[in-house]
Amino acid sequence: MAFVNLKNKLIQVKIVYYGPGRGGKTTNLEYINRKFQHRINSEMVTVKTHGDRTLFFDFLPFDVGLVNGYQIKIQLYTVPGQVKYDATRRLVLRGVDGIVFVADGMVVRRDTNIQSLRNLQENLASYKKNLRTLPWVLQYNKMDLREQGIPMMPIEMLEQDLNLEFRRPYFPASALEGTNVVATLKKIITLTIASIREELF
Amino acid sequence: MAKSSKLDTLTSELENRLDELFREDVQPVEAPPPKSSSSQPLAELKKIVLSIDWEITHEAVESFLAQIRLLKEVYQADKIVTTFLQILGSLGQYIKSNRSKAHPATFSLLNSVFSRLEEITNFSKMPELTQRKLLQAELAAYQQLRDKISQRRAADEPKPAPAAAEPAVPVASPDSSVVTAEMLAQAMADVKEFIRSEIAALRRQIKIDASR
Repeated sequence: MAFVNLKNKLIQVKIVYYGPGRGGKTTNLEYINRKFQHRINSEMVTVKTHGDRTLFFDFLPFDVGLVNGYQIKIQLYTVPGQVKYDATRRLVLRGVDGIVFVADGMVVRRDTNIQSLRNLQENLASYKKNLRTLPWVLQYNKMDLREQGIPMMPIEMLEQDLNLEFRRPYFPASALEGTNVVATLKKIITLTIASIREELF
Repeated sequence: MAKSSKLDTLTSELENRLDELFREDVQPVEAPPPKSSSSQPLAELKKIVLSIDWEITHEAVESFLAQIRLLKEVYQADKIVTTFLQILGSLGQYIKSNRSKAHPATFSLLNSVFSRLEEITNFSKMPELTQRKLLQAELAAYQQLRDKISQRRAADEPKPAPAAAEPAVPVASPDSSVVTAEMLAQAMADVKEFIRSEIAALRRQIKIDASR
């Protein structure tokens, strides 16, 4: 749940990057942190295990600044994608305001994308939330691999698998190269703030 | 009406602020990039292999290992290619641990293994028997390198080496005529054992650090 302090005019929202393991969630945050660190003036916190996998979560907080008289603070989290860390994923989802689902565009990852989205729905249900009411967007990552001849899913197939019943905004992306990383972030921030603005006025 | 106006102002101001905060980013891509028929899955790996051959940097070795992990997923159904990738991964781990102190023959073997792998993946009609023979030759060369490293270590320093100090992919006997399913299974088992020992070493290190 977003933290809204009307007296101090402070809004703090929590956005979680969710998706299958090795899909590029951490790479999204690393790109934002590396590219804009001089402006967001923040530190990314990350805990990695052997082989550079996310062990617990990544955390990148930053201030958007003063918008229409409100100080807006954003907290970005990732979850560990590996199946065995389900308890951690559920914990990170507590109090989530917006979600970026980072799907892996490789053909060999088709099933893991679907399983991960299903897992997200189950974990949200434990907090009495669901993907029909929560602000969220999809990012179809690793599109740069198409240039290397690696079999990738067409966007239509990804849409069919993951977004058919939701019709949420989606972004073909390359987190490694930064393509559409910021477009994804801007969209989820805008949608999330829009979802809580009823509390403001 | 006033409420709606306030909401619009907030949204508009937020978008402007986000544009300002992230203004150096590339423009959004509306559609996926066009497919390049001339490109190959190993193109990126080739660049990195050439880069390592030129200069061993931490970034190059990490990129190499990351690319190997990726290709293992792509080629997971192809046992021969997977074994080639295991050899390359093992050589990469060895280079990562030893950097410029790695045995000089490591780099020529790295190039050789990569060339054979490229050959196999570029010519999809290559008979399996030919593929196995190429793999067998590289496995034999790999075994020779291991022997050389062991001899050099025995001559240089008698104390036990760290877990990742030597390439750990198991190899077939050089006089075997073909690579059998058992050999591949053994190779996989040994790689798993290597990874387990790495994790165990890491855990020990974490405990030591935590106790300080």
